[in-house]
Amino acid sequence: MSEYVLELRGITKTFPGVRALDHVHFQLKKGQIHALMGENGAGKSTFIKIITGVHRPDEGEIYFQGERVDINHPKDAQQLGIAAIYQHVTCFPDLSVTENIFMGHEKIDKGTKRLLWKQMHQEAQVLLTELGADFDPKTQMGALSVAQQQIVEIAKALSTNAKIIIMDEPTAALTKRESEELYRITEQLRDRGVSVIFISHRFEDMYRLASQVTVFRDSRYIGSWAINEISQEDLIVAMVGREITQLFPKKAAQIGEEVLRVDGLGRTGYFKNVSFTLHRGEILGLTGLVGAGRSEVCQAIFGLDALDAGKVFLKGKEIHIDNPLQAMELGIGYLPEDRQKQGLVLPWSISSNITLPAIGKYAKKGWLSRHKEDEAAKTLAQKLQVKARSIYDPVSSLSGGNQQKVVFAKLLTAQLDVIILDEPTKGVDVGAKSAIYEIISDLASQGYGILLVSSEMPEVIGMSDRIVVMREGRVTAVLDREEATQEAILEASMVSISPRNREQIAEARMI
Amino acid sequence: MDLLRRDNEKGFSWKGFFLQWEWMLILIFLLVTAINSYLSPYYLNYDNLRDATMTFLDKAFIVLPMVLIIILADIDISVASTVALSAVVMADLYAMGVPMEVAILICLAVGALCGFINGWLIVRFKELSAVIVTLATMIIYRGIAYMMLEDQAVGQFPEWFKFLGWGYVFGIPFILIAFVVCAIAFALLLHKTTFGRRIYAIGNNPTASRFSGVQVDRIKIIVFTLAGLMAAVTALFLTSRMGSTRPNVATGYELDVIAMVVLGGISTAGGKGRMIGAVIAVFLIGYLRYGLGLINIPAQALLIIIGLLLIGAVMVPKLKIRGSGWRKAKPADAPVKRAL
Repeated sequence: MSEYVLELRGITKTFPGVRALDHVHFQLKKGQIHALMGENGAGKSTFIKIITGVHRPDEGEIYFQGERVDINHPKDAQQLGIAAIYQHVTCFPDLSVTENIFMGHEKIDKGTKRLLWKQMHQEAQVLLTELGADFDPKTQMGALSVAQQQIVEIAKALSTNAKIIIMDEPTAALTKRESEELYRITEQLRDRGVSVIFISHRFEDMYRLASQVTVFRDSRYIGSWAINEISQEDLIVAMVGREITQLFPKKAAQIGEEVLRVDGLGRTGYFKNVSFTLHRGEILGLTGLVGAGRSEVCQAIFGLDALDAGKVFLKGKEIHIDNPLQAMELGIGYLPEDRQKQGLVLPWSISSNITLPAIGKYAKKGWLSRHKEDEAAKTLAQKLQVKARSIYDPVSSLSGGNQQKVVFAKLLTAQLDVIILDEPTKGVDVGAKSAIYEIISDLASQGYGILLVSSEMPEVIGMSDRIVVMREGRVTAVLDREEATQEAILEASMVSISPRNREQIAEARMI
Repeated sequence: MDLLRRDNEKGFSWKGFFLQWEWMLILIFLLVTAINSYLSPYYLNYDNLRDATMTFLDKAFIVLPMVLIIILADIDISVASTVALSAVVMADLYAMGVPMEVAILICLAVGALCGFINGWLIVRFKELSAVIVTLATMIIYRGIAYMMLEDQAVGQFPEWFKFLGWGYVFGIPFILIAFVVCAIAFALLLHKTTFGRRIYAIGNNPTASRFSGVQVDRIKIIVFTLAGLMAAVTALFLTSRMGSTRPNVATGYELDVIAMVVLGGISTAGGKGRMIGAVIAVFLIGYLRYGLGLINIPAQALLIIIGLLLIGAVMVPKLKIRGSGWRKAKPADAPVKRAL
C-alpha cells in the first residue's frame, strides 16, 4: 500500500476564462494534519471541491490509498471516506443534533423501514462523548454555538467512517478557547488515524497543529514543507512571491486636504476600533483577507448598516448617516462588491440604471423626463466608454467590464467627494481591468478621495497611495506606498499586530 | 457611435406592439362581448351595461394600488377587511351623530391607517412575508369590525350620500368617472414619476435599489398606505350603493382584486406589468360576470372560467418567451463592439 492515503497529481481545472488550478500536486499521509495555505484566490477552494467531488478535474489523477480513483460526485467522495467541514457550518438548524449527524445515512429498520431513533440517539451520544462534547444529541442544532455545531459536523464525518476530514477555515468564527477545543479534537482525530487537511489563514493554527504545509499561489503548487523546516517569513514569501508585472496606470495625483476621517468605528461581531483618514486625490487601499471586515466597514460608512461605535468626519464635520441616500447627498458614494446583485437592475436599460440613484435630479418635481435622463446617461456612458450599441440596451447584455462601467457611471450622477470602491475589478477580464484602473486613476486626479477595497494584492499595491490592512475586524497596519510590499501586507493580514505596526497605527490616528 | 440610437428591435414594430399581453386581454374582451351578445339579446343594452358597470366597479379602486404592491413583489390580502372596517367605522360614527362629511373623512383616515400599519409591519419585521403580515391584519381588521357592529346592519345615510353609488354626471355613472380619474392618476404615478420608477426598481432588485439610495422602506409604507386609502374609497362607494353596511361586507374582494391584477399581466415576481393591463382586466372580468349572469350560468361556472383565465395569464408570457426565443437570441449574437 502506498505511503499516502490521498495523492493528487497534476490536477488542472479551468472555468470559463479562468484557470483555477494548474497542475497541482498534493500528498496526504495517514494520521497527518496537513495545512494548506495560500492567498485569496490561490485555488484552495477549487482544490477542495475537486477532492470532495463537487468539481471534476480537467486533467490529472487522484490516488486513494495507492489506487487510482475518479471522484465524480460528492457521493463518491463520501464512499471513499472524505468529509469536509466548512467555515460556515451547513446544517439544518431546525433539526436535532442526531438528525444532523445521520442526515443522508439514517439507520432504518430493514423490514418496516422505520427510523431507528433510539439507536441513532445512542450512537450520536457515543460520538459526542468521544469528542468531549457535553450537549444532548436531542438538542436542536440551531440552539448550539458555532463551535458546537462544528463538533456535530465532525461527529457526522466520523459516523460515516471518514478517513480524511477537510477543515476549511474552521477557527475563523471561534473564540480563543473554542479554538483550543477544536485543536484538541483535531489532534484526537489524528491519533485515531484520520488524516486532516486544514485550511486556515491563521499562522497560529498551523504551527499549533500541522506537521506538513503545502502552499498554493495563483492556482499553482508552490511547495510542501515539514512544518519545522520553514520559517514564517519564508512561508509568506512562498505565498506572495510573484513578480508584479502588470503596469498600473496610476497618475501622480495632487493630494489635498482631508476629506474623510473615521475614528474608532465599531460594529459588534464585525469590526472594532477602525480608524483612518482619506484625502482629496488620494487612493487609500483597504485590504486584508476575505472576512477581515473590509466591506462591512465600507457599508457602515455608506449607511447600509448601523455603527455601534466611532465617529465619521466629512470635510472636518462630524456626520451621521442613517441610509445610503443621505450618504450620497452628503457626498459619499459606494460601488458594491457584487455588481449583479447589489449594483444593477439587470433587465433594465443602461440609461435607466445609470440614472437610478439620482433620478430625482433628472426629473421635474417628481415627473420623469426621459429626454434629460437619456442625455445624462449618454454623457456618462461616453465619458466612461461603455461599449454598447445604445444606452437602451439591457445591462444584462453587457460584458462584466462594461457592466462595471455602468455602475461607475451611476456613482458619477451624484455630487461626491468620497468614492468607496469595493472590489471594483472582481469578475472582470484583464483588458477591462486596466480600463477600470484608468477610470479610478482619473477620478483621483479629479480630486475625489478614493477608498479602494481589494483582495488583489498587485492591484492594491499598484493603485494605492497608502494602504490600510485589516485582520479579523481590526486595522493591523497602515503602510505608505514605499513600504507596501506584498510580504508586509500579507504579514499584517495574517499575523497579530506587531509592535512596529502598532506605532504606525497610533501615528495614523494622530494625523 | 450614437448611444442614443434605438435599434430596430427596440423601435416600434406593429408585431411587437400587438404581441403585448394587453392586446391579448382586449382580444379576450372582444371575444367575451361577442359571445355574450350572441347568447343574450339583452347584453348590449345600454341600461344593462351601465348598471353592471356600476356594480362591479367598487372593488376596482383597490386594483389600482394593488398593481403597485404586486410590482413591489409584495401582496396585501387584508384589503377586503380594511373595506369592512372603514365602512363600519363610518356608519357607526354617523349613527352616533357625527356629521356625514366628517364620518367620510374618518373613514378614509381609518383605511389609510390600516394600510400604514401593514406597511410598517412589513418593513419593520423583514423576516415576515407580506402574506403573513396581511393575513394577520386581515383577521384583526375584520375582527374589530365585528366587535363594533356585531351582526347588525347600519344604514339610513343622508340622501346626498347615495350619489356616490347611484349618481350620474351627463348620463355617465359617477363611479365610472371616479374610477377613470383614479386610474389615470395611478397610471401617471406608476409610469411617469420618479416614485413609479423606484417602485419598478425595488420590484426588480431590492438590494441594488437600496444600494442606489432608493428609500425602499419608505416607498413600501407609502404604497401600502395608498392601498388602505383606496380600500376606504371602495368602502364609500359600496356603502352608498348598498345603503347600509355590515361587518361582513366585501368578503372575498381581496382575491378578486389580486386575480384582476394578475390577469392584467402584472407578475407576482415583481418588477413587471402595466397599469393599463389591470384596468382592462377589471372590465373583462366585470362584463364576463355580467354576461354569464344574463344567460343564467351559475356563479360557480364563472369561478372556473376566471380560474382558467388566470392560469392562461400566468402561462402565456412564458410560452411567448419560448416561442420567440429566436428573436430574443438576436441581440446577444450580434457582435457587440468592445474596446478590447
